[in-house]
Amino acid sequence: MIKIDKLRKRYGKMEALKGLSLEIDKGTVFGFVGPNGAGKSTSMSILATLLEPTSGKAYVGGYEVTSHPRQVRKLIGYMPDFFGVYDNLTAEEYLDFYGANYDIPVQERRQIIPQLLELVNLSHKRDAYVDSLSRGMKQRLGLARCLVHNPEVLILDEPASGLDPRARIELREILKELRDMGKTIIISSHILPELAEMCDVIGVIEEGNLIAYGKVEEIYARMQEKRVLRIRLVDRMEDALTHLKQQPLVSNVTREGNWAVVGFSGDDQQQVELLRSLALAGLPVAAFNEAEGNLEEIFLEITKGVGS
Amino acid sequence: MNVLRRFRNPVLMNELKLRMRTKRSPWIITLYLLVLGTVALTFVFLMTGAGSYYNPNETRELFMMLSLMQLAMICFVVPGLTAGVISGERERQTLSILLTTNVSATKLVLGKWLASLSFMSFLVFATIPLYAIIFLYGGVSPAQLLQVFAFYVVTMLGLGSIGVLLSTLIKRTGIATVLSYALVFGYGVGTSVLAEVIREFIRFQRNANNITGPFPVWPDFFHSLNPLFAMMSIFEEGPFRGLRRMAGSKYAALALDPYAIYCLFFAVVTIICLALSIYLIKPVKPRWRRKAATEE
Repeated sequence: MIKIDKLRKRYGKMEALKGLSLEIDKGTVFGFVGPNGAGKSTSMSILATLLEPTSGKAYVGGYEVTSHPRQVRKLIGYMPDFFGVYDNLTAEEYLDFYGANYDIPVQERRQIIPQLLELVNLSHKRDAYVDSLSRGMKQRLGLARCLVHNPEVLILDEPASGLDPRARIELREILKELRDMGKTIIISSHILPELAEMCDVIGVIEEGNLIAYGKVEEIYARMQEKRVLRIRLVDRMEDALTHLKQQPLVSNVTREGNWAVVGFSGDDQQQVELLRSLALAGLPVAAFNEAEGNLEEIFLEITKGVGS
Repeated sequence: MNVLRRFRNPVLMNELKLRMRTKRSPWIITLYLLVLGTVALTFVFLMTGAGSYYNPNETRELFMMLSLMQLAMICFVVPGLTAGVISGERERQTLSILLTTNVSATKLVLGKWLASLSFMSFLVFATIPLYAIIFLYGGVSPAQLLQVFAFYVVTMLGLGSIGVLLSTLIKRTGIATVLSYALVFGYGVGTSVLAEVIREFIRFQRNANNITGPFPVWPDFFHSLNPLFAMMSIFEEGPFRGLRRMAGSKYAALALDPYAIYCLFFAVVTIICLALSIYLIKPVKPRWRRKAATEE
């Protein structure tokens, strides 16, 4: 459904995208993750026909975005990271205005708008002025606006930013519904856990390069290759730390009370060997756990050093 | 039906709705008519000496005064109304969303331009009943009245298009507004100053016998571009001796009416400013430009 091929975007001397390539299948919910300034919004703006790439191509539904912007616009619903609303319009009028912008006949708009308001749980705010809505409600109204012409692709740039936990949960529920409706969705965020639950595929971007791409589980599994071990000792903590630092597969040895926390890059068998070496050294190991790396740690691990 | 759909402009309709919805709009219209009406009636009152004889020739003066007052108001208000139409959308962060819809750049610019001028037009055309006072006493032809209102429309569209162009070029509404005012007033003063400088230069050259033959009409031409003098020409006033002399000579065919020169010039300015705005607002430029860019 979406294809990005060696996309480059240069702003003066700064290169925001450095040959980004990726493909997103129809019906996929794709999470675009990366720190601020990594190139997520630039990529999304190019897909939304709002920005011309310096070189490379991007396709939506088979249409190249710079040569067929009108066709692409019919296929996409775009929600930028920051967007404004017309304060003197009610929620219903707001959607009606955008419906008219997509040349949807009046009768059809009258049918669609109540359905959209219901989808985003704003039916009760139908006659409320847009400026009276909370940020979360405006965000949901923005989502309804993206859907007014029933696009196949949704491009949502940081849709959850600035929302309180309840609003985030509500947004997540709506996105799940949209996924079930078969929409291809691209969501960006700089917070990986925010996306993990709702995305099928994740792409991690940093400094204009795609540094990780795949299903959420695959990225998880990949990161499990570098595990975190937590070892509790009854006594001789200093000896244990010295011993651990001498082990070739061990890194980042730290102490947390009675626990030694270390990074370990070996496999299961090598992990057994590490435990055995501790026992043979006469160190009193009371517990030996493999810590579950959370997504935040994975994200930091993946993007470590590239940006610094 | 399809033809009608082509001309349907949701941006324009939305703007009209937003502008006319505020409580401020009827108040502004009322106040404006009150001020102009008071001025007109005071003028009549003073001329009639509180009820005595009134000279119909003086209605021409009243007509001119009302017309010039409205022109001044157009020049003061239009730059402020139009200089924020695109930059305002950009500041409100609604422009990018609009540009991803089916609305073309042409419809967007034209819709914003016409909508911003709609209220001003409404104000100007609401004063038509005031002109009934003039017709009550006679002395002014309906053709002159039509010419004056056509002049307002041409001026509003022209100044409005300059405001829209600056609003497209400059990201901040404040700067765009200041520049629009500077440009409009610079233009108003500049055309006359330029005309007089040219007139003096020609006069100097003629005195030095470097130029012979009839006095060139260039100063008149530049005066014709000035809104104030172009409007004066409707009342057969203004510094247009050269053009009038030419009209009576064998070159009469070349002696364009200052009003016509003004309208023609403003039509060209309007088209150029709008075309540039439409081009500049397009996030993805037409193919020929991109091709040229890649070939560099």
